Amino acid sequence: MQLSRVIKPVKLLLIALKTGRVSREKYPLGPPLITDSFRGAISIDPVKCRGCGACVLICPPNALTLRFEGEKAILEYFKGRCIFCGMCADVCPVQAITVTREFELAAVEVEDLKEEIVHVMSKCIMCGRPFETITQLKYVKELKLITEKYMNMCPECRSKRVAKLFAMKPGEIFEIK
Amino acid sequence: MKYLRLSEKLRRIKRSPWVFHLNSGSCNACDIEVLDTLTPYFDAERLGVKLVVSPRHADIILFTGPITRESLPKVIRALKATPRPRILVAIGSCAVGGGVWWDTYSTLGGFPKLQEVLKQCRIKIDKIVYVPGCPARPEAIIYGLLLALGYIEQKVSKITKFTSQS
Repeated sequence: MQLSRVIKPVKLLLIALKTGRVSREKYPLGPPLITDSFRGAISIDPVKCRGCGACVLICPPNALTLRFEGEKAILEYFKGRCIFCGMCADVCPVQAITVTREFELAAVEVEDLKEEIVHVMSKCIMCGRPFETITQLKYVKELKLITEKYMNMCPECRSKRVAKLFAMKPGEIFEIK
Repeated sequence: MKYLRLSEKLRRIKRSPWVFHLNSGSCNACDIEVLDTLTPYFDAERLGVKLVVSPRHADIILFTGPITRESLPKVIRALKATPRPRILVAIGSCAVGGGVWWDTYSTLGGFPKLQEVLKQCRIKIDKIVYVPGCPARPEAIIYGLLLALGYIEQKVSKITKFTSQS
């Protein structure tokens, strides 16, 4: 009885010494178990992004939102609500959004999970109201679909101009201020 | 008794953290990941994390789900029963920001909105860690648990990027 009490722990110790530490290479101490196909948080390239809002329309949980504050258009990405589907990366016309493999996103405050991209809006030459991002207008200019004067007008002023043109008498000249 | 800050209180705890798994109407994906974290493959138990069956025994609450109306009174009762300091780990995009149910009528839509209800009930939660993911990976849950206990530092922070025009 007394002898087995001594022998048992010694036996266990020998087994433990043979095996060593089993869980040495697992996650917090070693690399994580993620594959190449894993989808993590997205990263938005501010140089490529035009602020067109295609990703905002496709996003299922509304994690990407576009809001307007005066002359600024702010594209906000809230990681806390994102479901990591990668639809925004597929739909982006300029490939500004890429899916990374980042998953260590734990945060103490909700505000830490937010990411903002600030765009500057261009003003309408008729009424002075900001209506479209500058980068988006640059892209339209490259396509050469419409003239520059017409491009810098907001949609409301454009329709007003057309209505005025229709109401003109023969021989009258229309001028943009 | 001298007033202690939470980090000092946590340092005084010499034993393993015990967790209670609180489901508030989630789709079970996050719950399976919590199960994965605690079972031998990812093995959070080697860090001392142990699952208990009552919130009265728990140090940390693993919170999943977008808080449905039906589960709200039960969630409040469970949170009231946990002893201070209450530490809560909100797991999954539903618990953090509402997920795909961010504006439905039958859910509150994430833990930040539940906190307003808890303020009215005078239930204080000392530390909250948000772990996004749909579902959150077992590694992400382990990372969140370590962040809650103060072993590692936070990686993410609020980023504001400007386009070339601004």
